[in-house]
Amino acid sequence: MPPLEYFTVECSDGVGGEAYERIAADVLQDLDLLKVIDKLHIYIDPVVPIFVAAGLLRKIPGAVRLRDMAAIRTEGERTIMDISDETYLAPLLTKLWSQFARENVDQPDRFTVVLTLREPVPGDLGEMVVADPRETLYRDIIYAMQYIAPEGFKVRRQYVKGNVFYYVASEDTLPDDIVETLVAGKLALLGVTL
Amino acid sequence: MTVLVPITYKGGIYRHDDIIELIEDLGGYIVQKHVLAQEVVLQSFVPRDDVEQIRRIAKPLAGEVKESPLVGTEIAVISPSLEIHHLPHTSCDIAEYLRQAGAKTNMVGLARGFGKRIANLNREERDVINEHDLAVYVLGNFAECIEHKFPVLQRGIEVPIVITGAPDRETLQKIVDPPVDGYVGGIGRIMHRFRRPEELAKLDEIVAEVARVLDARREVLANDPLSIFPARLKDVIEEKVYEVATLTHPTPVTVQMTGVRVKLPYDDYAPEFRALEIQDGVAIGDIAEVLPSRMRNYIIIRIKPYSETGVMV
Repeated sequence: MPPLEYFTVECSDGVGGEAYERIAADVLQDLDLLKVIDKLHIYIDPVVPIFVAAGLLRKIPGAVRLRDMAAIRTEGERTIMDISDETYLAPLLTKLWSQFARENVDQPDRFTVVLTLREPVPGDLGEMVVADPRETLYRDIIYAMQYIAPEGFKVRRQYVKGNVFYYVASEDTLPDDIVETLVAGKLALLGVTL
Repeated sequence: MTVLVPITYKGGIYRHDDIIELIEDLGGYIVQKHVLAQEVVLQSFVPRDDVEQIRRIAKPLAGEVKESPLVGTEIAVISPSLEIHHLPHTSCDIAEYLRQAGAKTNMVGLARGFGKRIANLNREERDVINEHDLAVYVLGNFAECIEHKFPVLQRGIEVPIVITGAPDRETLQKIVDPPVDGYVGGIGRIMHRFRRPEELAKLDEIVAEVARVLDARREVLANDPLSIFPARLKDVIEEKVYEVATLTHPTPVTVQMTGVRVKLPYDDYAPEFRALEIQDGVAIGDIAEVLPSRMRNYIIIRIKPYSETGVMV
């Protein structure tokens, strides 16, 4: 059982339901999503067949800006960044290279990046957005649901907005009103209305 | 006629040649030899009465001899697809465990084996599976899906089948129609390695079930013995066809229950194999069919029974 606020697998097949509880727990743990997902309700009916996952996310940290990960000081033409958290160093370098050209960006050691420019740096460099964890997180959540769902269920509809997500899949064509008729009911169990 | 039993010898690399020579002198055959760092694993057939003697001689070398019913068989482990849903955990763990029990296992990932209504088995897959001694189907969690899809997945399969799935054994027996040869319940799609005691017990159950099915098949074969023992045919091929020694496959000549698979191109080598003399003017072509394998461009040699050829070498 993953340590979520709410986690239920609803299934007409007892053995299969238990197996899916284990699968969901393993997948969420493998993809490191246990800290991100707050509530998750999974509904599977192999007779129809249909798979629904509805859930709520915890509060996700926003965009990472340069000032969050480095101390910036200017010495004449040189802007020196002392990196305090190197998690997003690679995307930072890519950003600097594309904006200021490669020959102007130097990294004398692991925790220092030096930008050499003749004219002053336009705008406030500290405000530059380096990475947005939400972008990959949404992709990861949909991937996790795809991974949990039975494999043959290739027809799917997915949604992530704010802190609400759902994923519905089947091997047959999904009815147009599936979200209103089935998914909305599962989301209501989590106290959410779309 | 001496009865040969399948055994696995596990011991150090030091003086393992003595054991190989001993097995050959006793009239046994080495089916496969693995050298793993300082350890050697020999899968072989030896006369039943001599097992104790090998055990005695192997003792000072710290060698261990144990009977492994799956030696000399080639088993297909069939996964509904090659996607992350089925691989690596369930299928690979089962294949690996069967390998430890002595079998040569091949994984067959179906192109469209997933789903309930949409599951399919194409001709190439069917032919490849039929080239094995036994097929283990590794299926999923829902009885409903297995019931619907399995008739399609086993269409045209002539080799014995063992099916695994999450429903228990009795449920599997009830829903699988037409019935198959073996059932192991309680293993569905899982997303972690088999490591808990109850999961490892399930793997043992699979080995036992596969061994039971193969033993039954061996009994049927014993009623009308083959014209040559497959492991002997392997020895002859390895001795007489120089090119086999140049192959880098782990088992260039794979022993099956009723034949061998040779990993040389069919078009170039088939005539040579048909004409290859085994003993006293008897050629492979006289007692076996040399056929193109559906697996790459290999050759599959199917040995005919004594009743058909009237020759025993």
